[in-house]
Amino acid sequence: MKPHAEIEQVWPRDGRIRIVGRLYGRRGDSGRDWRLLLVRRSSTQQLRYRARVEDDRFESEVPVADLAAYDTDGIEQWDLHLTDGEVKLRAGRQLDDNRDKKKIMVYPAQRVPAARGTLTVQPYYTVQDNLSLECRV
Amino acid sequence: MRPGIKIRYLLLHAYGRGGTIRTVMNQANSLVAAGWDVELVSVLRRRDEVQFPLDCRVTVSTLVDLRERALEPARGLVARLRDRRRTRQLEVPAREIPRGEFGYRYFNRHVEDAVIAYVASLRDGVLVTTRPALNFLAARHATGGVIRVAQEHMNHGTHRVDVQRRIVECYPEFDAVAVLTERDRQDYEQLLPGTRVIRIPNAVHTLDQIPSRPESKIAVAAGRLFPQKGFDLLIPAWARLVEKYPDWQLRIYGSGEKKAELRALIEEHHLYNHVFLMGHTDRLDDELAKASFYVLSSRFEGLPMVMIEAMSHALPVVAFDCPTGPADVLTHGVDGLLVPAQDTDALADAMGRLMADQELRAEMGVAALMTSASYGPGSVHPRWEALFTELHETRHRSGAAKGLHV
Repeated sequence: MKPHAEIEQVWPRDGRIRIVGRLYGRRGDSGRDWRLLLVRRSSTQQLRYRARVEDDRFESEVPVADLAAYDTDGIEQWDLHLTDGEVKLRAGRQLDDNRDKKKIMVYPAQRVPAARGTLTVQPYYTVQDNLSLECRV
Repeated sequence: MRPGIKIRYLLLHAYGRGGTIRTVMNQANSLVAAGWDVELVSVLRRRDEVQFPLDCRVTVSTLVDLRERALEPARGLVARLRDRRRTRQLEVPAREIPRGEFGYRYFNRHVEDAVIAYVASLRDGVLVTTRPALNFLAARHATGGVIRVAQEHMNHGTHRVDVQRRIVECYPEFDAVAVLTERDRQDYEQLLPGTRVIRIPNAVHTLDQIPSRPESKIAVAAGRLFPQKGFDLLIPAWARLVEKYPDWQLRIYGSGEKKAELRALIEEHHLYNHVFLMGHTDRLDDELAKASFYVLSSRFEGLPMVMIEAMSHALPVVAFDCPTGPADVLTHGVDGLLVPAQDTDALADAMGRLMADQELRAEMGVAALMTSASYGPGSVHPRWEALFTELHETRHRSGAAKGLHV
């Protein structure tokens, strides 16, 4: 198994998406400056949020309204990573026994006002069991 | 081979995935292995393949094929006329099936006529009909000499009034009426004085299962996502436990029409990290082995077989004491915990008791495994063989006696 950020919980509520998990295959040096990194799939745009890392535990959150600032045409995806500036660990859920998480672990969508209407933001697992956000107008 | 006794099971849809179908296939597999000649007759056919393991010596036939290609327009005038009649008859409501039969929507004049023609053609062997609608048609029309056995897979109290009335009228025609639980046996005996009512529980397909692990923090429930199964009661019950037991998961296996409502309930209680709608699985045995207890939240049952299967994996059970089944199988405090039906607080308390105590889960799990042994194919299926043999001998004797008097 490659080093990655193993997701344990995702909490989409109250205008935020909070994620909790453990670094896998790499110890989290709390002296370093860990960030939650969102990479927009259709461009090079990136968003960074402070992440609390202690031993292998991490926790971070994204205010959903931040995503409304980006012009979404139809459906857009943002892929989630944990990074300390040196390594970039993809966030996902690889260590449990559930296959086909895309259909089983389904999270609520949240809605925020955006330039072209209402933006719906929903965390989801990709077919590779990685965690991404889907935004649609 | 046991010459002269052919056993025919009449099922509404042998190609479906329901509990009745699974149970009948288990019976058929055991009987055919013991040398009986067994046929499954499916009233309808909507799929190409049967969905459960079935011995290749069991023959399967269909009365009305509803697969798409079977409905393609026919060539030739006669065939087209026959098609037109069939299309018309498919829209005319059935005459002899009460509206309260839960399978009423699958019946129409065409289906009904096909069943009547089939059962009326039988002259020998045994016909086992497996739901009220089919029992009613067999009672009235299977009069050509075949021995008739009616199976009831649901408890009597579950049936609507019109179905209950027809049961009293029709079931005395049967050579035997087979029910699943002791409570049902008593109810039917009272309703049908003079009719032979026999209790034979359904069997699990095997007792040779991988034991579960009591240290696991997974609870499992399974069934169609449908109000009967009470998952809408189970989800709020789990919400009461999630703070105290945040590292536990509840996995609900099954598919069905209430999926969106249940998903909404999970979101409402913020349980999306703890309660999962797993969908249908072909490998429920493997999934049961991963859990450390089973939950049955049904509003009603006949005899809940997945619960007994779970017990054969040494899983203790938390169950509503609903009609009927859980109280027939479980001994409260020994192999599981029975709580008042539809009482979600009591359900949560009982689940909490098991979640708090690994040793209790292990102990009750062993007791559950022992209970499940009496539902193994080896204990149950000989009772069917005995019943069929006895009915055949009784008929044969009385037939011979009649012959002497001529």
